[in-house]
Amino acid sequence: MLSAERRRRLVAAMAEAEINEMLLYGNAWQGDYLRYAADFGILEGHGIALVAADGSVELFLDSAVEAERAAAEAPGVEVVFAPDIARAVGARLDRVSNHRLAAAPRRFVPRWLADPERGFSLDDSTALVDRLLMHKLPAEIDAIRQAAKIADDAYVVFREAVKIGRPQYELVADVEAFLRGRGCPDNFMILGSGGKDVLGMTPPSDRRIAAGDLVTTELTPCVAGYYVQICRTVVVGPASEAQRRAFALYRAALEAGIAAVKPGATAADVARAENDVFRAYGLGDYVTSKWTRVRGHGLGLFCDSKPHILEDVDTPLMPGMALIVHPNTYHPEVGYLVLGDSVVVTEQGCEVLCGTPRELFEVAG
Amino acid sequence: MRRGLIARSPDELPDAVLEARLDRLRAAMVQAHLDALIVYTNNTRPAGVSWLTGFVPYWSEALLLVPRAGDPVLVVALTYRVKTWIERTSRVAEVIHTPRIGLEAGRRIAAQKPDAVVGIVEFDTLSAGIADDLKQAAPRLALTDASELFARQRARADEAEIALATKAAHIAHRALARVPRDATDAGQAIAAVEATARTMGAEEIYLAAATDLGGDECLRRVEGEARLGRRFALRATVAYQGTWVRIVRTVERDGAAAEPAIARFAATLTRLPDTAGFANFRAWLIEGCRTTQPLDTLIGSRAVASPAPLPGLVSVQAHIDVDGQPVLVGCPVVIEPRGARPLVSPTFE
Repeated sequence: MLSAERRRRLVAAMAEAEINEMLLYGNAWQGDYLRYAADFGILEGHGIALVAADGSVELFLDSAVEAERAAAEAPGVEVVFAPDIARAVGARLDRVSNHRLAAAPRRFVPRWLADPERGFSLDDSTALVDRLLMHKLPAEIDAIRQAAKIADDAYVVFREAVKIGRPQYELVADVEAFLRGRGCPDNFMILGSGGKDVLGMTPPSDRRIAAGDLVTTELTPCVAGYYVQICRTVVVGPASEAQRRAFALYRAALEAGIAAVKPGATAADVARAENDVFRAYGLGDYVTSKWTRVRGHGLGLFCDSKPHILEDVDTPLMPGMALIVHPNTYHPEVGYLVLGDSVVVTEQGCEVLCGTPRELFEVAG
Repeated sequence: MRRGLIARSPDELPDAVLEARLDRLRAAMVQAHLDALIVYTNNTRPAGVSWLTGFVPYWSEALLLVPRAGDPVLVVALTYRVKTWIERTSRVAEVIHTPRIGLEAGRRIAAQKPDAVVGIVEFDTLSAGIADDLKQAAPRLALTDASELFARQRARADEAEIALATKAAHIAHRALARVPRDATDAGQAIAAVEATARTMGAEEIYLAAATDLGGDECLRRVEGEARLGRRFALRATVAYQGTWVRIVRTVERDGAAAEPAIARFAATLTRLPDTAGFANFRAWLIEGCRTTQPLDTLIGSRAVASPAPLPGLVSVQAHIDVDGQPVLVGCPVVIEPRGARPLVSPTFE
């Protein structure tokens, strides 16, 4: 079972680092560390998992509803409903204060627990868990591959949903309904529609789709908690020459980025390969943080994992890492445009997970 | 992450309402001798900042700085590129973008008064990284917990909040009514509910199902394929413009055995804030917003009683035994001086 495999790996890493107990914090925004240990996809409140050296896991939750759900969804974990979660976990850690304790991600841990006045201290083991999150087991990659199939199908639903006059949030409703029907419990998606006035993607608004719009989205469904992402752009009506020209540039940048994904390369190498294409066309300003956040990122139990694909991130790529490469940014002639594919790093290079064509899709205008 | 409609309608959440809430909060700050108040927000704990500004982050995090006098400032970790989106969906005088929100918040408060007394809502569970940054930027600030101060102001439901909760409740009610009594596939039933809720403008919807009450009454998030039994239950947690409600429904393919139990539940709701009647049910739970979590656990058969009075808006759930069969039911309720009333019928009618 995947969760048991993960837990064995975590316990082995703890033993190697001489950590007796590990605290993993999570909430619905940053849930990956918690899920790695407790296999619970938290939706509400704070969650803290305590993993002992023998592999036993206690899961503290400050929402009664979430505690009840965790008891049903996370077998093999002792669930504790703790309205005052910091003090409940603190009382538990007081009992092992002479042990070596560590926390990840430490900066998210409740302040009260990290306070030097406590009778225990929590070392920072974020980097240790980050390594486990990034370098995946074969079963984790299998889950990501399954999610990629769903992402391809969901993008078809999205394209079909794009119709003149529909508000953006109805497009999301169609996609989410499709995903729930497929048994996919979660998805992250943002989108944009319009022209040069659109600087990026956000949650949906009530803006209505109009002729000539570029409609951008990133879809990020998950299987067993593992997220995969696809980024594509649709134009409403026939694409203009400027839109086609711009899209060709993004496709070249994506292909250059994917070609750079191989063992031994770094995240920076991938970002540089993408950005060099923009620079070659005199658009170097548009690959800076003023116009774009990242040029891709890791995938796994969080939809925006490490490593971030940026020219100053020197994380080496290794087989078993999953990434999305997406040269998404603003184009001064046509507006914000996106294109991205998820990949897994292999011994030879990488495997592209999604099969959706890299096209500037056109829908009836 | 949030992916429904995040929009602030000035008709539904007028500036005057937000200003009145801020005025109440500032008055409490003066009484408590606070120079400034800090409220944290992310997509899982948005209810403090959204109550004051309408702002709901779809991901990432932010701090709202409320000075004792003057306009609030929002310090966000979201990038500058979404500034116009933030301004469109909320009411804040100034938005500052920085990855280290604690550092910036500390600097700004200390620039006004280096030894300011600063109340922090949920200080104990504030991220250690933000707390460290606050101290680094402004070591002379006196930081203190202001959760109870904030909760006292937040607990009172004004007309705007009741109206938004009523809309959220109607979305959930209508969406759940889309489930056919003869449904057999959980995914299809959940898809129908979710499509309806999101098309009606829900900011968020979480669905959990007890797919066969004949064998298991635990409400789970469904993943993969699941068959529905002859009796099943669904729980819809719906947000509309920052206001959250939960509704639970039991669906019976044959007959209406659950109806008398639901009627008893409905009668008990009207006696809130008196909770004595709930002791007749096998399990019950009352949730509501106190500070930043939209639906905090307040009191119930398995929950420690909250020392504070119930807020004006709550969501109530119960498990009721009927001839050895569980009936799951839940409904949002507004508690007013003249009595309590459910925001929607606890049945499908």
